[in-house]
Amino acid sequence: MVLHTLNASPSSAAFEDCLRLIASGDSLLLLGDAVYGAITGTTARQALDNSGAALFVLLDDATVAGVAKRLDGVTLVDMTGFVELTEQCPRQLAWY
Amino acid sequence: MAGNSDKSLLLLIRHSPYGSSLARASIDVALAAAAFDQTVSLLFLGDGVLQLLPDQDTATGGLRNMGKLLASLPLYDIEQVYVDAEAAARYQLDLHGAPVATQALDREAMSRLLSSHDHLLGF
Repeated sequence: MVLHTLNASPSSAAFEDCLRLIASGDSLLLLGDAVYGAITGTTARQALDNSGAALFVLLDDATVAGVAKRLDGVTLVDMTGFVELTEQCPRQLAWY
Repeated sequence: MAGNSDKSLLLLIRHSPYGSSLARASIDVALAAAAFDQTVSLLFLGDGVLQLLPDQDTATGGLRNMGKLLASLPLYDIEQVYVDAEAAARYQLDLHGAPVATQALDREAMSRLLSSHDHLLGF
């Protein structure tokens, strides 16, 4: 089980590469520009939902970006939640 | 030196060789880990496969030749080198001409590779 932290916009190669390597049962935390990928109704969000990963978005970054209220059905986490995710997942991989 | 900790390290190399300093940094990390007897594997993924192009010629640019650097990896006992088969095909890259011997993997095999290593580092 891998915790993927994705910090790149939905149009980036990092976003695409990350989605290709996610396995079912992994966790995916969106931060930085990646938070735009979780906007409800977008193709990026659809791809995220189809990835089989549990989806999390960093609350602070979503708030700054102005998308916090457009993220239906995702779990928003604060920094403590981020740390808890790193505790739950034996491996972590940063995409940027 | 503490000896081998039996932890395996996988480096995911996703960037082109000369567009940023990340390519050099990833190889520096690989060589440093190998120098401390750590088990290191490399996965060239996405645009990272462009590092495997033969005929890289840096004579004019004052740059370090990434192809030649990669060719030296077996000298440091780094022999587990994997490649994103789909990305290689996208760039019409013939892996038989790559500077280092590689194993091509499909998407599922790459996902399994991640789960089979203890530590993952993305570049």
